[in-house]
Amino acid sequence: MPHDEVYEAMSESFERGAPIALATVAQTLGSTPRKTGAKMLVKPDGSFVGTIGGGCGEAEVWQEAMDALDDGDARMVTVDLTEPVDGEDKICGGIMRIFVERLEA
Amino acid sequence: MANATEIARALLTAAREGPAVASCTVMGATDGVDISLGAKMLVYADSELGDIGGGALEQAVIDFARASIPKHIVQTTAFTPSGDLVEGRRAIESADAIVEILVEIVEPAATLLVVGGGHVGLAVGQLGAMLGMEVAIIDDRQDYANEDRFPYEAKVICGDFGEELEQFPITANTFIVLVSRGHKVDELALRTVAERGAGYVGMIGSKRRTRTVLQHLAEEGLDPEALDKVFTPIGLDIGAETPEEIAVSVLGEIILVRRGGGAQPMSEYGRLLASPRR
Repeated sequence: MPHDEVYEAMSESFERGAPIALATVAQTLGSTPRKTGAKMLVKPDGSFVGTIGGGCGEAEVWQEAMDALDDGDARMVTVDLTEPVDGEDKICGGIMRIFVERLEA
Repeated sequence: MANATEIARALLTAAREGPAVASCTVMGATDGVDISLGAKMLVYADSELGDIGGGALEQAVIDFARASIPKHIVQTTAFTPSGDLVEGRRAIESADAIVEILVEIVEPAATLLVVGGGHVGLAVGQLGAMLGMEVAIIDDRQDYANEDRFPYEAKVICGDFGEELEQFPITANTFIVLVSRGHKVDELALRTVAERGAGYVGMIGSKRRTRTVLQHLAEEGLDPEALDKVFTPIGLDIGAETPEEIAVSVLGEIILVRRGGGAQPMSEYGRLLASPRR
C-alpha cells in the first residue's frame, strides 16, 4: 500500500524546517490490525497522518512518538494486543514491534 | 550523505510516479554493533540514495533490496554485521550480533487494465478499485464504456481495442484482465499486450477456447515464453459462478501473483502443521 500521505506530510514538514516522528511497524506476530510497513507520522502539535491500527495500541505509540520528538532517541516499542486491556476482547490478538524515530531536515 | 528532506522527496516521487524503490531502514541492532538506528538508504534498480554506513553489510542490503523490488514485498530482515542473511527465529536468537533492516518497496498504486466493460469487467474493476488499484476499463461499445456505468473511480476508455491498447502504457506494475465479449476480441487484445512485460495478463474463457487463442498467436510468431505466462483460463479455482464471484477469483489470482502465497485455505497450513511428520 502506498504511503503517499505520510511521505507528503514528511516532505512538507521538512520544507518548513519542522521535525516529525515516524512510527513504522517493523514486525508482527499473530493477528494484528496492520502489517509490517504500516506508518503513522506524528507532528509536534500532536496531530498525525496515517495509521498503525486504530485503537489497538495506537495511543501508546502516539505517546512514544511525542517522547521521541522531545528526546530525539529512536526506539522500538512492543505493543502486545494479546491481553484484553479493558475487559473487552480485542479483535486483534497479536504482537507488533514498532520502530519510532524522530526525523528532521 | 543524503539528508532527510531528499529522502522524503524521493519517497514521495516513488509513491506517486515511480520508478519503484526499495526503502531500507535500520530498525534494530545488537548492542555494540556500530550502526546508526534509523539510518536510511533508498535502493533503485541501478542506483542508491543515502547509506547505512557502508561496508559488506551495506552491499548485502543493497543486493537484497534490489532483488526485492519485483516482489513488491515489505519485510524486516536480519543480517550479521558482516552482511550474511540470518533467517528463522532460532538463528536470529542464537546469533552473536544482528542488524535488523526493514525493506519496503515504495511504488505507485498498481494499474488494473480491464479489457471489456461487460458484467465481469464491471465487477473486476470494482473490486480492483476497492483494493486500491488504479482502474482503467476499455470497451468499443458506448453502452459498456461510459462513466455512468462504473460507480467507482475508473478511467473509462471507449474506442478501438487494438488502437487504445497500443497506446496504453504498460509496465511491470500493470495487471491486465481480458474479459471482453468474445474470444476474437480477447485474441486481438492479447496480441497487443502479451509481449509488453505486464505484471499479469489473464484471459477468460474455457480451456478449449483459450488454448485455440494461444495456438493462433503462437503460429503468428508471438514469443512462446510470453504466451506461457498468460493466466488462462483466468482466476483461482474457488467455484465462482456470478460476475462478482469471478471478480474475487481473478483479483485473488492477481494478489497471489503480486504478493506470493500458497493459494490454499489457511486452515490447510494449520492441518499440515498439526499432522505428525513422516
